[in-house]
Amino acid sequence: MVEYIFRRLLYGGIVLFIMVIFIFVVMRAIPGDVVMLQLADASNVSEAQIAALKTELGLDKSIVSQFMDWLKGIFQGDFGKSLWSNRSVTEMIAARLPVTLELTFLSSIIAIFIGIPIGVISAVKHNTWTDHLLRIVSIGGISIPNFWIGLVLLLLLSLVFNWIPPLGYQSFTANPIVNMQQMLLPAFCLAITLCASIVRMTRSSVLEIMHADFIRTVRSKGVKESIVVYKHSLRNSLISVITIIGLQIGTLLGGAVVIESIFSLPGLGNLIFEAVNSRDYPNCSSFRSYLRCNVFTCEFACRYYLWLD
Amino acid sequence: MQSVQIETEQQVVVKKHARLLKFLHDCKHFIITQKIGFVSILIILVMIAIAIFAPVIAPYDPISQNREAILTGPNAEHIMGTDDLGRDVFSRIVYGARISILVGFGSILLAIVIGTILGLVSGYFGGIIDMVIQRIMDAILAIPALILALFIASLLGPAVQNVIIAIVIISIPQFARIVRGEMLRVREMNFVEASRAIGANPFRILLKHGLPNMLAPIIVVASLGFGAAIIAEASLSFLGIGTPPPNPSWGLMLSNASRYMETAPWLVIFPGLALALLVLALNLLGDALRDFWDPKLSL
Repeated sequence: MVEYIFRRLLYGGIVLFIMVIFIFVVMRAIPGDVVMLQLADASNVSEAQIAALKTELGLDKSIVSQFMDWLKGIFQGDFGKSLWSNRSVTEMIAARLPVTLELTFLSSIIAIFIGIPIGVISAVKHNTWTDHLLRIVSIGGISIPNFWIGLVLLLLLSLVFNWIPPLGYQSFTANPIVNMQQMLLPAFCLAITLCASIVRMTRSSVLEIMHADFIRTVRSKGVKESIVVYKHSLRNSLISVITIIGLQIGTLLGGAVVIESIFSLPGLGNLIFEAVNSRDYPNCSSFRSYLRCNVFTCEFACRYYLWLD
Repeated sequence: MQSVQIETEQQVVVKKHARLLKFLHDCKHFIITQKIGFVSILIILVMIAIAIFAPVIAPYDPISQNREAILTGPNAEHIMGTDDLGRDVFSRIVYGARISILVGFGSILLAIVIGTILGLVSGYFGGIIDMVIQRIMDAILAIPALILALFIASLLGPAVQNVIIAIVIISIPQFARIVRGEMLRVREMNFVEASRAIGANPFRILLKHGLPNMLAPIIVVASLGFGAAIIAEASLSFLGIGTPPPNPSWGLMLSNASRYMETAPWLVIFPGLALALLVLALNLLGDALRDFWDPKLSL
């Protein structure tokens, strides 16, 4: 087991390193220079001004030494400063993190509470019209782009109830009611995709377990069908469902760019989008590595759970 | 000598017939057992036909603006209404099918080719090559797909071919993974070992024995990936870094529509419906194909 954990960590480390280099290189390669973007307002820019700004931002050094500086910073827990706002990247992430965490938490709760029961029903009523209907609905959940669902929901709310959720973001502790009004809708949109994969996973693994020998034994003992389903089948099939949930939550933490932009929520996805658009190099790269760690931990936790079982 | 030649030619003909018959039989079986899958094939074919014959079907030019008819609701002249520049929504949706299908098909085809080659090589040779390829695939998979596409698309600038490149990169790993898994399985089979024993070169083994045995999972993943690629294109265009305006892309139309949501709801509804219908048909087809070939295939 120790060897297994060690190997996973090593692989994770290698992947992380490839990614860090990749993002660093890509960000520098994107056409459009942060210096030019920042000076765009000023009408006549002298060469000296450009040089001064470059030195100030540390962009006059060679790419390699910039990379080494930044890498050194990471090991000391310092992700560098944003090239625009002069705030530290750690601080910016900390400001956006609560929104993304809340969104992820809400949408996974919604998805689990809807997805697992539907999956079980679909498996129990295998090959009946209920199953076919639920199957089409769940594939629909994967197929229909969630940003369109978000738009249509907003449209319905504004047309039917003449109400749209207050824009922006207020934290739950500051104003729980407004917070819920803002978060429930985007969380629901995100939940639909997650829910669809939970349904499919639950259905296929419950079906598989229902055909296992021990279930036949349990049935032949005369145990009630509901206990067979919920106690024996569902419990044993939860492992693969939890794996899927873990992986998907990793993705959700990575930010839901489109949904956040529709509901104008200041989450991580939004920050990444802004960072890419404004060529804010340190901001982008640190963040991606940070998120990668996140996804990695989720994945790892799932694998660990699998091993435990 | 000559008679031998003729006989083998006849055999070849018979063999071809047998293959065709088996294929037809499989088709019939598919239509009977997978009705949903059959209906989705029909929907996809209709969509492709619409994309090909767009100039015939569309009543208006998708780009030409009409100042007289700005934001008019659905009526006899414009069955799906017009947008903020007076362009006919129906014509734009019809032409939009071209972009969606082109991007989806182009990127999935490229991703299949590259992913399959990587997967075959990785699975057949193993060792350090496998290790390197798999770590790179892990790295790509580690970044949420849409965000990676966002990086690449903004790196290359807004253009249809750049969207295709971005989607190819995010969809390569799924093909590489599935092909590698299948290759590991096929490699251990007796007939592959036999052909290795008689000295067939690796290239021949990969093409003749490897590929035909993994067509089914590749087609299933391709069908599901096609849908995902179309959604990715729409999302990128929605964020303004995909297909550049004034091209009629469904994602772009939706992004434009969100500004006029309350005054012109038809702008939100129709492009979204077209998008949802096409992707739904592709996913249902993928699902049906999976059931048809191997219900236990876990993808």
